[in-house]
Amino acid sequence: MHFHTLMAGLFLFAPLAQADTLTVKNEKGEPMARAMVTQSPISQPEADLSDDGYAPDGVTNTSAVALTRFTDSAGEVEFDSATLPVRYRARAQGYVDSYLDALEDEVILQPMTEEQYIASYPSNVWLSQLSFGGDEELKKAFLLNCAFCHQQASPFMRNERTREQWLSVIERMNTYGARLPDEDHAQVAKLLQEEYRQLREHPEQVPEPRAWEPQLSEIEMTEWPIGDGFSQMHDFLLHPNGFIYIGDNLFDRIYELDPDTGAYTVYKVPHDEDMGLGGIMGNRFKVFPKMYNYMGVHSFAYSKKDGNIFITPSMQQALLEFDIKTKQFISHEMPGGYYPHTIRVDDKDRVWFTLALSSQVAMFDRTEGEFTLYDLPARGVMEWLIFKSLPIMFSISPENRPQPSPDRESTGLPMPYGIDIAPDGMVWVARLYANDLASIDPDSGEITMIDFPFNGPRRLRIDADGNLWIVAFQDSLLVKYVPGTGTFTSYDLPVINEVPYALNVDRDRGVVWVNGNQSDTILSFDIASESWKVYPMPRQRFFTRDIEISEEDGAVYTTNSHFPTWQSEGGVPTLLRITPLSE
Amino acid sequence: MRSPVPDSLPSLISSLILLCCTFTATAAPHWLHYGGDQGGRHYSEAGQINRSNVDQLEVAWVFQSGDMERYGEEMGNTSTQSTPILLPEAAGQSLVYCTPFNRVIALDPADGSRRWSFDPKIDRGGDRPFRCRGVSYAEEPRAAAGDTCRHRLYMSTHDRRLWAIDATTGKPCTGFGEGGKVLLSGDQGLVPGEVSNSSAPVVAAGIVVTGSTVIDFVRATTPRGTVMAFDSYNGKPLWQFDPLVGYPNSGSANVWAPISVDVENALLYLPTSAASPDYYGVDRPGDGLYANSVVALDLHSGRVRWHFQHVRHDLWDYDTPAQPILFDWRKNGEVIPALAQLTKQGFVFVFNRLTGAPLWEITEQPVPPSQIPGERSAATQPKPIAPPQLLNPFLMPSDAWGLTPWDRGNCARQLAELENLGLFTPNSEQLTLMFPGSLGGPNWGGGALLGDSGLLLVNVNNVAFTGQLIPAPQSADSGGDRQDHPAAGHRMRVTMKGTPYDIEIGSLQSPLGIPCNPPPWGKLVAVDLFKGTIAWETALGSVHEMGPVTAPFHIEWGTPNLGGGIATAGGLFFIGATMDRQIRAFDVSNGDTLWQYTLPVDATATPMTYEYKGRQYVVINAGGHHMFGRDAGDYVYAFVLPH
Repeated sequence: MHFHTLMAGLFLFAPLAQADTLTVKNEKGEPMARAMVTQSPISQPEADLSDDGYAPDGVTNTSAVALTRFTDSAGEVEFDSATLPVRYRARAQGYVDSYLDALEDEVILQPMTEEQYIASYPSNVWLSQLSFGGDEELKKAFLLNCAFCHQQASPFMRNERTREQWLSVIERMNTYGARLPDEDHAQVAKLLQEEYRQLREHPEQVPEPRAWEPQLSEIEMTEWPIGDGFSQMHDFLLHPNGFIYIGDNLFDRIYELDPDTGAYTVYKVPHDEDMGLGGIMGNRFKVFPKMYNYMGVHSFAYSKKDGNIFITPSMQQALLEFDIKTKQFISHEMPGGYYPHTIRVDDKDRVWFTLALSSQVAMFDRTEGEFTLYDLPARGVMEWLIFKSLPIMFSISPENRPQPSPDRESTGLPMPYGIDIAPDGMVWVARLYANDLASIDPDSGEITMIDFPFNGPRRLRIDADGNLWIVAFQDSLLVKYVPGTGTFTSYDLPVINEVPYALNVDRDRGVVWVNGNQSDTILSFDIASESWKVYPMPRQRFFTRDIEISEEDGAVYTTNSHFPTWQSEGGVPTLLRITPLSE
Repeated sequence: MRSPVPDSLPSLISSLILLCCTFTATAAPHWLHYGGDQGGRHYSEAGQINRSNVDQLEVAWVFQSGDMERYGEEMGNTSTQSTPILLPEAAGQSLVYCTPFNRVIALDPADGSRRWSFDPKIDRGGDRPFRCRGVSYAEEPRAAAGDTCRHRLYMSTHDRRLWAIDATTGKPCTGFGEGGKVLLSGDQGLVPGEVSNSSAPVVAAGIVVTGSTVIDFVRATTPRGTVMAFDSYNGKPLWQFDPLVGYPNSGSANVWAPISVDVENALLYLPTSAASPDYYGVDRPGDGLYANSVVALDLHSGRVRWHFQHVRHDLWDYDTPAQPILFDWRKNGEVIPALAQLTKQGFVFVFNRLTGAPLWEITEQPVPPSQIPGERSAATQPKPIAPPQLLNPFLMPSDAWGLTPWDRGNCARQLAELENLGLFTPNSEQLTLMFPGSLGGPNWGGGALLGDSGLLLVNVNNVAFTGQLIPAPQSADSGGDRQDHPAAGHRMRVTMKGTPYDIEIGSLQSPLGIPCNPPPWGKLVAVDLFKGTIAWETALGSVHEMGPVTAPFHIEWGTPNLGGGIATAGGLFFIGATMDRQIRAFDVSNGDTLWQYTLPVDATATPMTYEYKGRQYVVINAGGHHMFGRDAGDYVYAFVLPH
């Protein structure tokens, strides 16, 4: 995909582009640099949702594309003249949003009151002031188990609650899949009540968020909203055919998006008729009004050989293949293993993916049509016994299946999570709860375990030099591992108390991109200079799980998969692209 | 069930009581307005009855209105909700109240003997419940001193008439409207009983203002909820306020709960209800201003000065149920004229009542979208950063409660099958949890503010409903239920004529008829408004009479409740409201029950208190409540300390 093609994606607004300039000023009439201006259609394209409220298989709907740019040092931003009715939102830190129904010469932003300004701070700065009574380990346990679906300290999370109400929240979240140890429930409820109240009474203690920076005027952000308040864009991929394939994890649908037009074709993932919601894992979200996740499409990778897309259905003991030509799904049944998670395809067309629950890595040999399962070591006899008993456990219906009760010491299962293929072909895996890394020699099958000296290795990526880049989730760090020397180097994130989930490496440009789920940002780290840049997201409560990078121009893509989706600003999942603007 | 009491609270309250009792030595406490004062604080400076002697209270007198004998079976369609007022000496110093049929009765405050009565002979057509929460008093300076109707009482009736009667005789004020009354309904071609009145009008600065109560879910376009103002002297119309201007495909947003007035600043505060129909909003897109709001109007012009909408695009019948409470906000040395608004959702919003600026930050709570085709539910709803919600709106299958494993299991199964994402989950074609339901949380009983302490005492319902939108042909109104809320064990189905759906609502309960959520099912909550915290809470009511057989002992698991309570300088909170025929006195410092008395029927009315000839009386109207399937009555009880 070429940069010019990307720019042409704005055709909806400007088939015959004529630029108009908006100047954003403060209440004193002074131009404001780094103000965010978002252009979005006033009316939403009608979507075909005739499959019981869901988009039917094969239908093509159109996304209401939004474009965000930032003012330059003169306070100016340009937009091509829109052919459809659009509105503009101007936003700046410390100022009240302003909306325009047409592009005028200028817009004046009014400053927030002190109270409004503090209330507008993103989650991470509030989180930074929760000390959990000085118990750092408890805070990390809280972040690990409670900060992987949504932001934790957004305004409505900081509401005064009684301890009983906090306890009720914690217990409810654990039924949805959070894993806060039972032994910590009462203490966490007490501390959340006390410490949020303390911050409410002394908001001056909360540090200001990082100020927006000059590089913002060098990029633009394009968003494609797809789905609704109950769907969830999880992982996705940029396909060499020019389309972007996005998984709707809760609706069992794949969206094939043409970024040039905003049109997307829907492919419904089939499932066995006798399969229940939630697949073999069972449905944790029975009380949700809208849910269609029999398969749970999770992670995507494509074959360089034929372009077919491989998808991990986390609710099944299978691997999905999407034939890029026939648009049909093929299900490859696995001989074992539970919870297919993150997936990659190597240069030999072997499909590698983590099996998060059974602590395994699977390799699907396309030539033979066979799976090889690599058992990662258990950390003890009890854990080994648990792994061995999983088939028995899963023979019990989900409703009657005993649920593990995690404690802080065992942290449940090791959970192999992120996976990537090094330039030398080695397969690398991070185990989230075990704080270790695994490398698999694809030729010999030899597995080597390496202690990870930080907490919460979630997703990992490998740069052009074969170095691993890993996010340490609850430690708020970006970590580099050099396999040749066995050395780890950690880098503080440029925003405080961030809880990094995903990352990707722009191998061509030597840049690591890390998500900023609690700070409504995405972060870029220049490997050579070891310097950070921070980009604010155009929506509040923007929670991302995957980052992809266009090789051609370095455009960065991510999805907003805040769960629940309706809690994110706008209430709809979006695919977001950050594109460098031409000089 | 009871939360610990903050260390400072008892001493704070003790100081307040001391202060108040000293003050009462020079100020004669009275109860001149429905809510105690025109700001609905439900507070009396009377402190003769206090925590140390309340257990000695005894019945001073009992009065029966005669409605039971007069109206017979019609009493089954009444709700006795009236709070008497004590008139000033110049107006005869009678204790005056209205019965559900709008009969006004004046009693001797010392012995409860009847002095006079007035019967407006209302049209009793239609099937709406009869209720009258009170009458309002004003001295009319345009009438000569000593003339008839210098002292007046105003009442809005079930059949939509605004009456002015002489406070000393009960005779209509003939110079007011036509023969003492103004017709409120105009010529709207109303369905009989579709619009009525329940709360007392407000009188201030020569202006009398009245709202209305409307059946707002039986059809899409119900009558407008227009608030009307009249000259209190002659009944001439002054201004009107329609809360739903610009919404032609809707109606109501009426003001059925008591209105407050800040006379000094000439501001009226309207608690507006939902737009029609309550549970389906496709034809009324948008937020629906000024429905579900507290609206500050200029008393003289009726123009909006500020407003706050606590539910956008209501789909849950979350009317603003309670009288706005006007008080002084004292924090960090500042004194700000304030307003506290209770909502059915269990929130307490606090504002500067002159400007509408929130005194506790209001956050935007993202809420799940509707699944009904074309329904554009609001993406967020307001929620105060503090105080906390007065009930926990989440109820998961694991929270199911039951007397036995069997009914607990049944409740867990019911809960697992419900759509349930907490507060503001829109109803759909699937059964959906409504917690709180349309009953609240708090309701029209409102709250009682303990003097200047900032301690707000609120009785709260804590039972879950379920709702379901049922596709229905767009036929004529098939009738269905016309209650406001379902009775216990009853599923109420209402035809929302003009929409593609009926709505069916019922309480969430086990096959044994027991609520599926854990008790308490009614509770009393003490809120520290200045700290933004809950000081304590305790169960309100005993369930011993709620089963098929009355238990011989009290089981204090709390009951659904209607009616409010009052706080006094004696450190007490008096309340009936429960389904156990009790009137209780609580210690405001910790929620301990210090006294209770068994009435012949439930008292779903707010009590009042006054000092008269050196003695403090506590009075409550006890008339039962048909909606809860309880016996009816026509009693007024007065309590006093022994000589």
